[in-house]
Amino acid sequence: MTADTDVVTTTELVRQSIEGRRFSPFNALVAFALLFTLLSSVVILVTLLADTIAAALPVFATRGLDFVTASLSPRADSAGIWQAIMGSLALTGFVIAVAFPFGVAAAVYLEEYASDNRVTRFINANIRNLAGVPSIVYGILGLFLFVEILMRGVFGASEGIAGRNVVAGGLTLAVLVLPIMIITTSEALRAVPGGLREASLAVGATRWETIRHHVLPVAIPAILTGSVLTIARAFGESAPLLLAGAQLSLFFSVSSDASFADLMLTQPYTALPIVVFNFARQPQAEFVSLTAASIVVLLVMLLTVNAAAVLARDRYERRYR
Amino acid sequence: MKSRIVRLLGLAVVLALVAAACDIDGGGDMTTTVAGAGTTSAPDTTEPSAEPTTSIEGGGVDLSGSIVVSGSSTVEPITARVGEAFDGANPGVATSVEGPGTGDGFARFCAGETDISDASRPISEEEIATCEGAGISYVELHIATDGLTVLTSLENEAVSCLGFTDLYALLGPESEGFANWSDANELAAELSAPNAPYPEEPLVITAPGEESGTYDTFVEFVIADISEERLGEGNDFTRADYNASANDNVIVQGITENPTSLGWVGFAFYEANQDVLKALEVDNGESGCVTPTAETIASFEYPLSRPLFIYVNTSDLANRPELTAFVDYYLSDEGLAAVADAGYVQLPAEDIGATRAAWTGAMG
Amino acid sequence: MAIVDQQRDSRIDLTGDVRRRRREAVVKALFFTAAAISILISVAIVLALIGKAWAFLNSIELDQLWGNGWFPRRGRFDLSALLVHTMMVTGIAMLVAVPFGLGSAIYLSEYARSGVRRVLKPTLEILAGIPSVVLGFFALQFITPNVVRGLYPGAQSANFLAAGIAVGILTIPLVASVSEDAMRAVPYSLREASYGLGAKQWHTALRVVFPAAISGIIAAVILGISRAVGETMVVALAAGLNGIMTFNPTEGGLTMTGAIANLAVGSDQVAGDVAAFQSLFFVGLVLFVLTLGLNVISGRIVRRYRQRY
Repeated sequence: MTADTDVVTTTELVRQSIEGRRFSPFNALVAFALLFTLLSSVVILVTLLADTIAAALPVFATRGLDFVTASLSPRADSAGIWQAIMGSLALTGFVIAVAFPFGVAAAVYLEEYASDNRVTRFINANIRNLAGVPSIVYGILGLFLFVEILMRGVFGASEGIAGRNVVAGGLTLAVLVLPIMIITTSEALRAVPGGLREASLAVGATRWETIRHHVLPVAIPAILTGSVLTIARAFGESAPLLLAGAQLSLFFSVSSDASFADLMLTQPYTALPIVVFNFARQPQAEFVSLTAASIVVLLVMLLTVNAAAVLARDRYERRYR
Repeated sequence: MKSRIVRLLGLAVVLALVAAACDIDGGGDMTTTVAGAGTTSAPDTTEPSAEPTTSIEGGGVDLSGSIVVSGSSTVEPITARVGEAFDGANPGVATSVEGPGTGDGFARFCAGETDISDASRPISEEEIATCEGAGISYVELHIATDGLTVLTSLENEAVSCLGFTDLYALLGPESEGFANWSDANELAAELSAPNAPYPEEPLVITAPGEESGTYDTFVEFVIADISEERLGEGNDFTRADYNASANDNVIVQGITENPTSLGWVGFAFYEANQDVLKALEVDNGESGCVTPTAETIASFEYPLSRPLFIYVNTSDLANRPELTAFVDYYLSDEGLAAVADAGYVQLPAEDIGATRAAWTGAMG
Repeated sequence: MAIVDQQRDSRIDLTGDVRRRRREAVVKALFFTAAAISILISVAIVLALIGKAWAFLNSIELDQLWGNGWFPRRGRFDLSALLVHTMMVTGIAMLVAVPFGLGSAIYLSEYARSGVRRVLKPTLEILAGIPSVVLGFFALQFITPNVVRGLYPGAQSANFLAAGIAVGILTIPLVASVSEDAMRAVPYSLREASYGLGAKQWHTALRVVFPAAISGIIAAVILGISRAVGETMVVALAAGLNGIMTFNPTEGGLTMTGAIANLAVGSDQVAGDVAAFQSLFFVGLVLFVLTLGLNVISGRIVRRYRQRY
């Protein structure tokens, strides 16, 4: 960050010393037009947030935290998003547990072990392409691979929700997020200076020892912040879950004597963005403010995670530059 | 610093999973307190339906298992309310109620994936065959009545009543491309429609899409016979060029925004928006133009009255005490109170008796 | 004897402890497996789509795929309607995302002082993090009544214009960040040389830096298009269910993603060989191939047209 500012300043100095203090109206016009486009994004964001919060206020004013702690209900005045929040957290837990280790491991292999040959370049290109695939295609994959083949085929689920469980949904999201995780980790590893590796290898460390004791510690902050941002994105995804089996309903309940395994495998679940979608589709006017209120909760949770990641990134960038 | 972050992340994962494990359905206890709050604010909630402790036969906290309901989004509000109340007294049962549409609900039902299928029309011949082929036996239970209300804008003074032939001329398969009401005059004259000719105003149609039972019912009542007579089999569809929506709120909006609009929704949604919509009377061919009201619908005098059903899978009832208990509760007085709560028309007493008899018969 | 011993000893074995080597080999194998999984995922996607898409194509007449509207439950599988609608939404989205995204990128890269950057750049990052359902709701509740109906009072409540604008808003951060990266990668010496020759700031930014970064900028636009094509939740909420092809942006209709979502919300009959449900896989395959093609082209353009500085 500091290095960038220095260079900009140099170019700025060059520009100012040549142009002098002459005011160019056309330049000001162009600058203003460009600034306008940037500020428009700010305006759009502010409008979006203001409109949503305004629509959501009646719900919080009349019901307060009850909205967050109640269960889904077909009655707008008692519907709450607790199940959705819990489902989203469980799904996020899955994504962290699956996508994080696999993503970091794959990136470590591609950056540290694999030689730069056609196979490696092919794998890298493949990962970049996967990152650009629409999320609903991952939903189709999840439906086919995790619900049908894994749950119904391998585990033989056929009663009740028949395989449309949190595990299938979590795996679908993990697969969605995996390519991005690999890419961010790869970039973090690439940012580690090569001299560090060379020095470690020179004193006799093996490749793995170098990675574990020298490369990873330097790269971990960037890896973690990138991962947190990716996971936050998974939190807001709903298209894949539509196909992979989240409950799109005004009411569902989980058995009170369900064990942990039951909750993971045989009980219905939903996620917060799915509930937002479902509320938004409802005809009753009361559901409009419910939708807005759920969006507010969703955005608050997302912004918290994003802010934490950005703060951590700033802190570590200052440390390691 | 790095280890602290790793520890925090690990803690987050553990918290997330533990929280999910402990409380995916945390609202279970909340239903009672929320129901209490409901009595003070909402004038139309019938709180007894939230506290069914005394009326469930053989029920109570010992029931376990799961109940999966899918089908009509029209019936979904009723079944969801019943499910919510049932769950309050039987927390051991996992209940799930979804509303993808009557047709899609039957597809799942006849594949054995659901226990109960909500339907806003009777099961069709193909669906019966599919169910038979899959070895699924079921019972049809008539639980409520709904009226399809044909709507136009409050500002539309010119049209007040339409018969089935009028509706066919305006909305049927041969009407594709009619941009004005008057474009249908020729067709209407052919059919001797009672309310033709129509004014020369833009015909803006907002109506349910084809995945909904509301659409199916409309086609069955209004379009099917006439289209079969004129065009032969396989043409029982409406015109395709209208603003289709699965969201009745969108339909209501579409109707209110245009002074000469046309569409149809279920009676409940019309009732909820009575102040901004004009319901057209429908000519029932006998007593003339009938206005949709709770009475005319319940008595089926209003020609576009449709029965709402639940179809229960009876293939394995002996091993499914929770399913039996659920349907028992559904058909009890407290359960059926959800019908009115959701805005539909209650069955008259003898029809309720007939439904209960059908259920008892299927159980034995 | 001593000299021969010395010669033998000089060939010291550097390979090291057996345990360390074994651990190294195991670790390497583990990591390789993880990387290989990414290939497996691609294979799985293609398998999932191709099998059922092929079954679908076999069960219908090919001329059913063109014309007559997309009504899968009626046996009408008009892919052309879906494609036209997708292009309309994407086109409108790009009309929003490219000016605003590129403009923001140019400003941030060439004009903004670090203080301004620190305040305004996070706005784009926040916008990037907003889930698409939220934009879909915004399109229904705000864009349609205020913007679309403001311009075209007779517009339908579900219309391509609102959905397109919302998708465009979603895509602005992507276009902005990739273009900005491309422009910041241009060496500062180019800018300084330009000033040295007497160019003004706007000339430098638009006629020197922008063309130098053009490959990255085109890549950004293509990535934006790919994102817009694949967007589901906004169109599911705001673009409507109409299956008949229309070119009117004040009307609504099903895009490819909307068609998939509509079928998904309707049924999860995975094992079914009902053509209506299988069409979901077919549309998914078309979508996958289309976005894959766009991404590959974007990569090619970057490589081919990258200026050598």
